[in-house]
Amino acid sequence: MGKLTIGCFSSLVGSLSLDFSVKLSEAAIQKGHTVDLWVSGNATMVSKKGQKAFKDYSFLAKKIQELVAAGNLKVTACEACAEARGYHKEDTMEGVKRFSMDWYLASSFTADRLLHIGGD
Amino acid sequence: MKLGVFLSEYRTGADVLDRLTADKLGIIFVGNGVYNAAVKENGKASSVLEKKASFYVLAEDLESRGFTAANVDSRVKLVTYGDVVDLIFNDYEKTIWI
Amino acid sequence: MATKKLGFVIRTMPYKIEGSRLGMTHAISSQTVEIYLEDGDMVEPVVCFIGDGVLNCLKNQQAMKHYAITSLEQHIKNSLLLDLNVLICKEDIDKLGIKEDALIMDAEDIGGETNAKVVPYSEIQKAMESVDHLLFC
Repeated sequence: MGKLTIGCFSSLVGSLSLDFSVKLSEAAIQKGHTVDLWVSGNATMVSKKGQKAFKDYSFLAKKIQELVAAGNLKVTACEACAEARGYHKEDTMEGVKRFSMDWYLASSFTADRLLHIGGD
Repeated sequence: MKLGVFLSEYRTGADVLDRLTADKLGIIFVGNGVYNAAVKENGKASSVLEKKASFYVLAEDLESRGFTAANVDSRVKLVTYGDVVDLIFNDYEKTIWI
Repeated sequence: MATKKLGFVIRTMPYKIEGSRLGMTHAISSQTVEIYLEDGDMVEPVVCFIGDGVLNCLKNQQAMKHYAITSLEQHIKNSLLLDLNVLICKEDIDKLGIKEDALIMDAEDIGGETNAKVVPYSEIQKAMESVDHLLFC
């Protein structure tokens, strides 16, 4: 079994690239792999607590929390990207970490595969 | 290199694909990239399909956009997220998203 | 002791979307990644500009003056100051009518000693083949 690192920089709402990242993470975990999900840029907002579900917007918080709680998924948000968006440490979803950008590179160091999904 | 390309765009991205070379190339249509697998603009299939590569389309993204397997070009194989995981780990050493 | 090579391939324009900026800032963060790694382990980035991404490399960007944000010019200079390998696609600057003297090729004004290189696409292809992971930005 291997480790997949996914870096996603796309918007929580609209792009559906974060939805792809979460679905791919879940599928990889189901096959016994471990996944690091790094969210940076606009994608950072997926890791903010207090999101509400509306049917016109992607709602990934519940699935992310389930996967994090079950283990094999680490979600880490870019700290600077979060702070720039007014999202502070106390706003972070349970189970999610916040670090500087070098965390993503460190994750790539031990990753068997990396998928980088650029920003919008 | 063995390269898996996630193509998430329609009409754009070909500039990258045209020049990419790999010993083994796989193109996985996701997001709006699925239109490359199903739309025949002016009766012609996407030029991306002329590339020497293996082609896959993510079934969920295809269905989300109103297509079925019957609409997909015969060169393209339908895949699930689980299949995509296997492609990433078993078939390609590097993956990119465009 | 091991080194993992990362290829940041920047193909998007410098402003409106954040892709190239985040690509550069993540590449630059390789300078501090050791805090997470074992002694002697390293991450070595190469930054390649292709397609419309070469527009990031134009000199005299005034983003700080007009938007109070760091220009991509400054990020490229910072990467050269840190001795990152920066490659710019020759065919793409030719296609866009850009001359080499319009490009950020060095960071001498901030004490850098490393130069960017304008190279044929074939060199960028080789760089992509040589890395462990590719990050298209």
